[in-house]
Amino acid sequence: MLNTPTVTMFDLHVVLPAAALVFGAIVLMLSEVFLSSPNRTYMAVIALVTSGIAGVVALNNAFEPARLVLQGFAVIDPFSSFMTVMVCLGTGLASLLAAGFLKHRNAERGEFYALMLFAAAGMSLLAASNEFITLFINLEVLSVATYALTAFLRRGPRPAEAGFKYFILGAFAGALLLYGAALLYGATGTTRLSDLATLLPGAMATRGGLVYAGFGLVLAGFAFKVAAVPFHMWTPDVYEGAPTPVTALMSVGVKAAAIVAMVRTFLALVNGLDPQVPFILFSLLALLTMVGGNLLAMPQRNVKRMLAYSSIAHAGYLLLGVTALFVPDAARSSDAGGVLSATPLLANAAVNASVYKGILFYLLGYTVTSIGAFGTLAAIERREDETRSNTWDLERLAGLAQRQPGWAAAMAAFMLSLAGVPPMVGFLGKLYIFSAAVDAGLIWLAVVGVLSSVAGTYYYLRVVVYMFMRPAAADAPATFRHWTTEVALVVSAVATVALGIVPGPIAEWLSRAGMVFGG
Amino acid sequence: MTVVPTAHYLILAAALFCMGMLGVLVRRNALVVFMCIELMLNAANLTFLAFARERGDVVGHLGPFFIIAVAAAEAAVGLAIVIAVFRNRGTVNIEEIQSMKH
Amino acid sequence: MAEQVLFWVFAIGTIAGAGGVIAVRNPVASAISLVATFFFLAGTYVLLWAHTIAVIQVLVYAGAIMVLFLFVIMLLSLTDHGPIVQLSPSRIAGALATAALLASLVGVFRKLPPGDTVTWATDASRLSSFGTLKELGAVLYTQWLFPFEAVSLLLLVAIVGAVVVAKARV
Repeated sequence: MLNTPTVTMFDLHVVLPAAALVFGAIVLMLSEVFLSSPNRTYMAVIALVTSGIAGVVALNNAFEPARLVLQGFAVIDPFSSFMTVMVCLGTGLASLLAAGFLKHRNAERGEFYALMLFAAAGMSLLAASNEFITLFINLEVLSVATYALTAFLRRGPRPAEAGFKYFILGAFAGALLLYGAALLYGATGTTRLSDLATLLPGAMATRGGLVYAGFGLVLAGFAFKVAAVPFHMWTPDVYEGAPTPVTALMSVGVKAAAIVAMVRTFLALVNGLDPQVPFILFSLLALLTMVGGNLLAMPQRNVKRMLAYSSIAHAGYLLLGVTALFVPDAARSSDAGGVLSATPLLANAAVNASVYKGILFYLLGYTVTSIGAFGTLAAIERREDETRSNTWDLERLAGLAQRQPGWAAAMAAFMLSLAGVPPMVGFLGKLYIFSAAVDAGLIWLAVVGVLSSVAGTYYYLRVVVYMFMRPAAADAPATFRHWTTEVALVVSAVATVALGIVPGPIAEWLSRAGMVFGG
Repeated sequence: MTVVPTAHYLILAAALFCMGMLGVLVRRNALVVFMCIELMLNAANLTFLAFARERGDVVGHLGPFFIIAVAAAEAAVGLAIVIAVFRNRGTVNIEEIQSMKH
Repeated sequence: MAEQVLFWVFAIGTIAGAGGVIAVRNPVASAISLVATFFFLAGTYVLLWAHTIAVIQVLVYAGAIMVLFLFVIMLLSLTDHGPIVQLSPSRIAGALATAALLASLVGVFRKLPPGDTVTWATDASRLSSFGTLKELGAVLYTQWLFPFEAVSLLLLVAIVGAVVVAKARV
């Protein structure tokens, strides 16, 4: 006799945001068939409304207690729910950017927005996955949607090339991840993360080699997904070649979802391992990514490519936060001192909570800032640019302050935020992450992070200098305005500044989200 | 009952995985690179199944079940992208698909 | 004894097939090699008492996925010039890393303790139901609900994605 599964309404809360997004996507695809209005801006509005609804549902979930759902294959916890809220925010803004962008290219299609919503659904499910196969499937949902979005435009050679490179990279990373999962299954007999956490210590005695090999392969797979140095090859090409609104979605959503999945996976996998191993590997990854991303961004005159490298550097700061979760106790107590070291267990919990808050706030700040920065580029881009090689050269931004003062001011805010200059939100995000890292005992790594971030200021400020201090070229092409683009830019610019000045209620919420199931 | 030890199957899978990885790293033809990724996925399947027999655990069979489904989905989109690249360039040689400078 | 012989036949076949995929110039020959590899692997799966998966492997992998590959290769009618492989310092480093990975994996596997296959397999009722479609289906539809639904979403996304990407002009 079969044991019928017990699935209650309570279990389904975890999939509600994704279900809303998928429903919106289906509505969009049907509208493509049944509505043949020449003006298709309504599609962006449907996508926006859908992501708004999904975001509200996810926000509602964020205040529920953390628990296992769906036979232990998923987890509902504030960490993943807040991630979903950010993904929905990013998707909504990116679909507004896409409206103007696609209209200008005469390429507005329901499928484009539908794929964006599918990708968001994948991200939301990925953040909640608690089992390797499930995690892999949801990773593929978001990846397959993003591959198709990247190769969506057919004009010029770049999109197809970017889609192809992204596909090979993603499929390769997925294979590494799966092989690692297979080895971990061999060591423990389970693929569920929460069971792995309890079974790994016992498996270490006889099958330690398997565990370490599996750990390494899973780490390499995730490193490709978050584009950590030295696993970043081709990422800049992908970011450069993808349609700019898609790049915006990739830089915020894909990265955020991958980081959240990575945190959940490794919180389970480090159990039983020699604590030095994950600590050293993550420190190395964070160090290389922070320094490498900034060094590679510096010589770039191509602004879109510079932002791609900058997004690698920002992944490095996030990895610094992740590293702070895996500091061995010895390093921690030698440093923290005072009240904290008196109760090491509680101290760890407090430090971890501040790390989660830091990661989430950083992701939120990066979402609004990065969407805004790529959005400004999308607004400046011209249809004819697609076959040119100097499309995103700094010269294109010269004199923007005279031509479009509003855009230039917004872009300046985004650049300052990315550079981490107060009072922008990027400064607070860095502050939270770096101070959490210092609390965890990662002083040297935090110092390197601050230094490389200061070095990064150079290439962000160069953009500001070009916009405000260089005259516009005489033959500068006219800019193309669309109300949805303007709305997206205004919202991101206001959020970038406002969150930096009054982080109040949001930071408060995120402190409550300093909970990961079982972590 | 004597059976071939699990380790034999695992070593076969490791060899398959590494051959696939080598192919991804060095081959120029995009389609062959894609096939090499399929080899890597099959190595993961073989590993799952070998451990499933060792443990008498059916969970190890569900992994490959889902992986094959995902591979089919990936193949559909991946091959569509390869066709798009070919339409654009008239080639699927990775060396020649480098229009963006580093 | 029979398993020993068959294992070696399938193992050598699998490795030879994989070698064919990465070593030959003509993509059609690579694809045919890959089909052979999949068949040998299906045989290996039968040796591992995974009959259901072996059938799926032949039907879906060797049947559907590889036909798609061959179809695309024929459609593009590729001609291949120049060297088969491209080498650069980073690729050579990657190849060396692959060799190191293989060596360490083999080292790990050789040290594994012998499993308890024989112990559980003496239970005849367990052995006869192991890996059958019935057992697989029971677990799939009771426990593995979430990944099952997620795969249905993935297939929908893949259909939409493939149509969008393969369209001639957007």
